[in-house]
Amino acid sequence: METFAFYLFAILITGLFAVTVMSRNLLYAMTSLAAGMVLISGLFFILGADFLGVVQLIVYVGAVMALYAFGMMFFDATGVIKEKNGSPFLVFLLGGMTAVLLVVIFAAPVIGHNVPSLYPPVAGADNPHAVGLVLFTKYLVPFEVAAVMLLVAMIAGIILAGKKMERSISKIDDSELETSGGKDDE
Amino acid sequence: MSLEQFKNRNVGTQNYRMLDLEPTPETGWGRFKRVAKRAVKLELFTGLKVTFREMIKALFGGEMHTVKYPFEKLPISPRYRAIHEMKRLLESGHYRCIGCGLCEKICISDCIRMDTRYDENQRKEVSEYTINFGRCIFCGYCAEVCPELAIVHGGRYETASEQRASYALFEDMLTPLDKLAEQKEYPGFGWISPDADEKIKKTPLAY
Amino acid sequence: MDGYIIGTIIKAVLILAIISALAGFGTYIERKVLAFMQRRLGPMHVGPYGLLQLVADGIKLFTKEDFIPSGANRLIFMIAPMITAATAFIALAAVPMLPEFTLFGVTVRPIVADINIGILFVLGMMAAGLYGPLLAGMAQDNKWGLLGAARTAIQFLSYEVVTGLSILAPIMIVGSLSLIDFNNYQSGGIGDWLIWKQPLAFILFLIAGFAETNRTPFDLLEHEAEVVSGYATEYSGMRWGMFFIGEYTNMITIGFLASLVFLGGFNSWGFLPGGIAIILKVSFFFFLMLWVRASWPHIRPDQLMWLCWKVLMPLAVINVTLTGLVMMF
Repeated sequence: METFAFYLFAILITGLFAVTVMSRNLLYAMTSLAAGMVLISGLFFILGADFLGVVQLIVYVGAVMALYAFGMMFFDATGVIKEKNGSPFLVFLLGGMTAVLLVVIFAAPVIGHNVPSLYPPVAGADNPHAVGLVLFTKYLVPFEVAAVMLLVAMIAGIILAGKKMERSISKIDDSELETSGGKDDE
Repeated sequence: MSLEQFKNRNVGTQNYRMLDLEPTPETGWGRFKRVAKRAVKLELFTGLKVTFREMIKALFGGEMHTVKYPFEKLPISPRYRAIHEMKRLLESGHYRCIGCGLCEKICISDCIRMDTRYDENQRKEVSEYTINFGRCIFCGYCAEVCPELAIVHGGRYETASEQRASYALFEDMLTPLDKLAEQKEYPGFGWISPDADEKIKKTPLAY
Repeated sequence: MDGYIIGTIIKAVLILAIISALAGFGTYIERKVLAFMQRRLGPMHVGPYGLLQLVADGIKLFTKEDFIPSGANRLIFMIAPMITAATAFIALAAVPMLPEFTLFGVTVRPIVADINIGILFVLGMMAAGLYGPLLAGMAQDNKWGLLGAARTAIQFLSYEVVTGLSILAPIMIVGSLSLIDFNNYQSGGIGDWLIWKQPLAFILFLIAGFAETNRTPFDLLEHEAEVVSGYATEYSGMRWGMFFIGEYTNMITIGFLASLVFLGGFNSWGFLPGGIAIILKVSFFFFLMLWVRASWPHIRPDQLMWLCWKVLMPLAVINVTLTGLVMMF
């Protein structure tokens, strides 16, 4: 039963992500990306990691939605996007090489050493507790570093976007706008 | 209503209440204070209270405002100009129209058509009288000009039908003989309406 | 095991049938309540007091032409309403509706999937439901639809944050994510209700719940006066009906969540048995949504964002911090 579910999810996820890469239609690409992300949470559920599954669901639903917002601003959602692609061969080579490299890097140790699970499930502690225990003991530093990085990104974003926040075009006098516009014309 | 009351024209300033609005705060701290004050004062709940009160009043106080239209109708003004009615003489039951043709003459949209002839008593008789309601603009001139008050505007405003001719014939507009006793007399277009006394109000001239 | 599977299927079908019927009935209730608050009668002619209006609407929706605009992305256009309806019902799967009861000698637990992270699952599924309006707006090749989709993105993304943060404080107090644990925590009568310990979280959750279900003070997605019908502009017939069922189901879900987390859930309430108590609570929340719709005007998008990021989110963070400090010392 679980094997069947795993392969079903695996095939669906691979197929959906293939659509994401191949499709030239913005909506298809984005939607298959979102669906793939949701299905990945299914893999977590199969593994018994309910908490991580739901976190995957919540986080990626929001993240892909932000991507949608960008797509909405940059492209015509219902049309086909024309890509400018200088040398398809080079793109294929670089992309393919990177993909193969990544797979080898992550898959080789697993196949070679049959990696055991470092933190076997603690008996008695349920999912969120276990995640919390690991997060705040073993992985405390990476966790905090990631948090600081997010904070830095947030502050940078606010500063970049908020530079001219106080200046409202509707509050500027018409005469001022006209004179400055006149200067540009000259 | 006495003349004194009419002379008191200061009618515009009785029920007004000035809203005590504060100026919009300019500083951030002022805006913050306003938000905090509004949140703590629970002003929003006043709106909820009003709607709930109206619901209770509507459900249990009999203040429901719906008129179930096809089953009940609002009264219309007696001066309303809808489909015409041809009146009869109360004593004899004969129609009042004398075939003078004034209405046909004055009709500005040329929608009235009448034919007359002399009957066996050498009296003028209306042989044909139609109003084309596809063209009638319900201006009321025909009723105004009629010397016998034979044609008036009635209150029948539901005039959707399969064909325009449904209301257009003389017989359709004529008061049915059996309803003669119920025929409502109305002096004609331009007259003050019968309930004018109740409706009269002071005109506010000075605000 | 077989009995478990069959029981689950029966429960799922029952919930689907009952809740979709209730969602349809909700439209009738909404019309009636709004009408009474505006001193009107509302639907009166189909059946006694217009009770069969629901059937008439259903017939109309089913027989209406299912129209897909020529410029639209057909596949996505067709999928979008199903996402809304399906996620709304999936979210209900983890909600315990009533207390346990015994029927024909079998103890029935009225919850389809008792997962120990119930509340997160419900919130996550409701978040996934946002893809319905978003995709619908983007797929229909209509500028009002696109505006509706853009509003979906900003409104729901922002208010997800408030929902999550506001419900975090009760989670910390109870120490579990399971809705049944929440219920059991408040089993000691009215004094045990979490609303007394977390009044601010309750208010924040309620406001965010209004925004997430797209109810009136925050119904920017399809506000007729501004964006015609927003994401639902080009929809007709049963597809539009599915959006509606999804929205009303979400309203019921938010009602259940609020009563389970803050108002004592399905514990018996004085002389009232638990099942009736929770139905009363959910009905109250449903009525509150209609009541608010009749009373308050809706707000501008910039006010919506202002409310979320400058008022509600700081309050939620302060609430979580204070709760943590109080629990620590």
